[in-house]
Amino acid sequence: MNNAKEIIAKNVFFLSAVASAVMILAIFGFMIALGIPLFKAGNFLAIWTGPWAPHEGLYGIWPMISGTLWIALLATALCLPLSLGTSFVITSLGSPRLCKMLGTLVRFMTGIPTVIYGFVGIFLLVPLVREGIGGPGMCVLTAGMVLAILISPTMILFFTNSLLSVDVSYVQAAKALGANRVQRLLYVMVPRATGGMAAGIILALGRALGDTLIALMLAGNAIQAPHALLEPARTLTAHIALVKAADFDSLEFRSIFVCGIVLYLFATAATVAVRLILRKREVPT
Amino acid sequence: MKKTFVQTFVIFSIFSLLVAPCFGEALQAFEGQEGTIKIAGGTAHIPVMKEAAKRIMTRYKDILITVAGGGSGLGIKQVGEGLVDIGNSGRKPKPEEIEKYKLKMFKWAIDGVGVVVNPTNKVQSLTKDQLKDIFSGKIDNWLVLGGVKHAITVYTRDEASGTRAVFWEKALDKENISTKALFVPSNGAMKTAVANDPYAIGYVSVGHMDETVAPVALDGVTPTLDTVKGGQYKIARGLYSNTKSDPSGLTRLFINYLFSPEGQKIASEKGFIPVK
Amino acid sequence: MQELMEKLAVFLSWTMTLVLCLCLFIFLSYLLIKGLPSLGAELIFGKAEPLRVLLGHDRVFDGIFPAMIGTFFLVILSAMLALPVGVCSGIYLAEYANPGMKKLFGGLFDILAGIPSIVIGLFGFSLSIFLHNHFSDRFGPCLLISSLSLAVLVIPYIVRSTQMSLEELPSNIRRTALALGATRLQNIAYVLIPNALSGISSGLFLAIGRCAEDTAVILLTGVVAMAGVPSSLLSQYEALPFYIYYISSQYSNPAELSNGYGACLVLLGICAVLFMFAYGLKKHLSYRMLYRV
Repeated sequence: MNNAKEIIAKNVFFLSAVASAVMILAIFGFMIALGIPLFKAGNFLAIWTGPWAPHEGLYGIWPMISGTLWIALLATALCLPLSLGTSFVITSLGSPRLCKMLGTLVRFMTGIPTVIYGFVGIFLLVPLVREGIGGPGMCVLTAGMVLAILISPTMILFFTNSLLSVDVSYVQAAKALGANRVQRLLYVMVPRATGGMAAGIILALGRALGDTLIALMLAGNAIQAPHALLEPARTLTAHIALVKAADFDSLEFRSIFVCGIVLYLFATAATVAVRLILRKREVPT
Repeated sequence: MKKTFVQTFVIFSIFSLLVAPCFGEALQAFEGQEGTIKIAGGTAHIPVMKEAAKRIMTRYKDILITVAGGGSGLGIKQVGEGLVDIGNSGRKPKPEEIEKYKLKMFKWAIDGVGVVVNPTNKVQSLTKDQLKDIFSGKIDNWLVLGGVKHAITVYTRDEASGTRAVFWEKALDKENISTKALFVPSNGAMKTAVANDPYAIGYVSVGHMDETVAPVALDGVTPTLDTVKGGQYKIARGLYSNTKSDPSGLTRLFINYLFSPEGQKIASEKGFIPVK
Repeated sequence: MQELMEKLAVFLSWTMTLVLCLCLFIFLSYLLIKGLPSLGAELIFGKAEPLRVLLGHDRVFDGIFPAMIGTFFLVILSAMLALPVGVCSGIYLAEYANPGMKKLFGGLFDILAGIPSIVIGLFGFSLSIFLHNHFSDRFGPCLLISSLSLAVLVIPYIVRSTQMSLEELPSNIRRTALALGATRLQNIAYVLIPNALSGISSGLFLAIGRCAEDTAVILLTGVVAMAGVPSSLLSQYEALPFYIYYISSQYSNPAELSNGYGACLVLLGICAVLFMFAYGLKKHLSYRMLYRV
């Protein structure tokens, strides 16, 4: 009797794991199945590289891919110095009490809902950019700035973790040779933590690529591909949120599934890259 | 003793007869009903829908009415697919839509679509050609039109919007809208966007216009309730509530309510022109 | 030269940290200044009386009460759906799987964790279309579909936290019961799980916090601007994050905007509390999971 229970339990656990894993493939499957009409109807290349003009029959999602890349890359670029600086302070430069406070602060930031960042961004940052710098206010720059703040806790905590995971014997050896805190950080810890830090950057980039609300609320959602920081843009994620209202059978509607496919591939690429880097460097995670 | 009682009774009856129309006999029709009405579609209709829903739901606790936006295109599609009971549209459903979904249309108000700018903007009158050039991006600075030196921010709606369809067809004569235009998802959002941006220009339902935005006169005619009613302002459309084939039950009662004196009063209070 | 670079590095690091703290400070104080005045019973219940609303007699039309209830139901349902499946999967990965399987499943769950939330919302939406067309007309985007989608979103958190907290148990705890003759299942049920409870609940709180704040998923799967308190699993509903988003793009008067700020504070409070709980419960465990947040 006990044996039967054991076997049942084991299978139940196994099936749960399988069910969860199957979800991943199911999601991808649904996207492809529902996006196929768009591939069949239009020129395959045009979908990825053409402009978006539904009333002319053009369903290219290139403007959205471009918008996503502009905003996500800008956000990551802005976030990098911020996170590097803060993680340096937390791991080496600050006093223990300060580090603890900063650590709590950063962890608190992870709990702030995205929609609230967007809300404050609309009423605080957009007018500032519009009057102070120019343009419509809702543009790549505004969205990029707020997104950078959003993803910074992820990067900071990852950097901090990587820096602190460096084998302590190296650091102590450097200390014995007379290196001060800064020198230990810059010449011993950072070089050995580059793998983990690269992973952190990619992860933050992945998060930036997949964010919906910031771009939806702050980037203007214009249908053109942006050519400057002060121009409005639309990301793949915002496009999905905006177009869901269209006719279910129309090609316009199908485009959101193609956007979903692109996002899925971006995210998977980022995740796989991170896993490869971490495994190679053998940084404990 | 008896006389006082009769007197009180008579006074009370007269009083209630006078007061009864205030409660609205239209609402009485919902007495004893229960169930859900799902409404979606045109964003211009939302203020009226919300008010009507509020009055019905406050009085009759067993009725639930949900109101969603999404645009005229969504409303027609969803009512056709059976996802909602009433699909609102700010444009007349196309013949192929009526055919495909067996739609029954109910036009309960008339509305205009007017161009709006921020109240601080000096430019409050345009010709049709100027309008077309602004929206297509040919004119891109307010300085050209006599305003301040700043780029014009054009706001527009998505493809599902009935307001957009009417504006594009009748005001822009089907010319292109610039690809740099910012998108907003509803009439309410358009109003908020223009009210917050001093360099904005957009188009919104006349019923939604209030003191936070300034209407722009088109070829000399300012879009107001009166000019739409009088016919001088030509960019107008009907507000439709559509159902899939003949409505029945609660849905029928709600449609009737929209046409009742009380419902029409709500429509005019919210800034539209009642049909009755 | 080198010394100059080092000094520069120190200076820049402190400056960057200051910038970050300043941004956060401005953000929070702006929210508090704009939102505190509107906190109160009127924010939640609008013009209706609180007691009557709580007893179910009156409906709330201008308050955030329906949105709060909607979020509450959403979170409870998603947790109910995700917790059993997540914990069982975590147990399987920690206790029964061989290294090859662990790597495979680990990779799959990492991918699932990295998928943007809107794609998961899209999945839920397609599911509802599929059900609507093939099964019953009554199906559509609703509370049930949203909860399912949110469950898919947060399962990786629960799986990973369960797996990691089980794997971290010291081997003496792990082996004692077995040495005394308990079966594997008994060991898991009576010894391992109770010891790993703090880690598992940490994951649960993280998942709940994620469900409460998510907007993208519910945007596609059934949230609407006005629906009252959800009446059934197949009904549409309101939710706090969507209320905030909706107000931000279309508020009709300053009072509504003020409500929006108040709602931001309420949501921030709820999520901050949940996340801090999660961290408090298992501090360093959260570090590892954190980079997925």
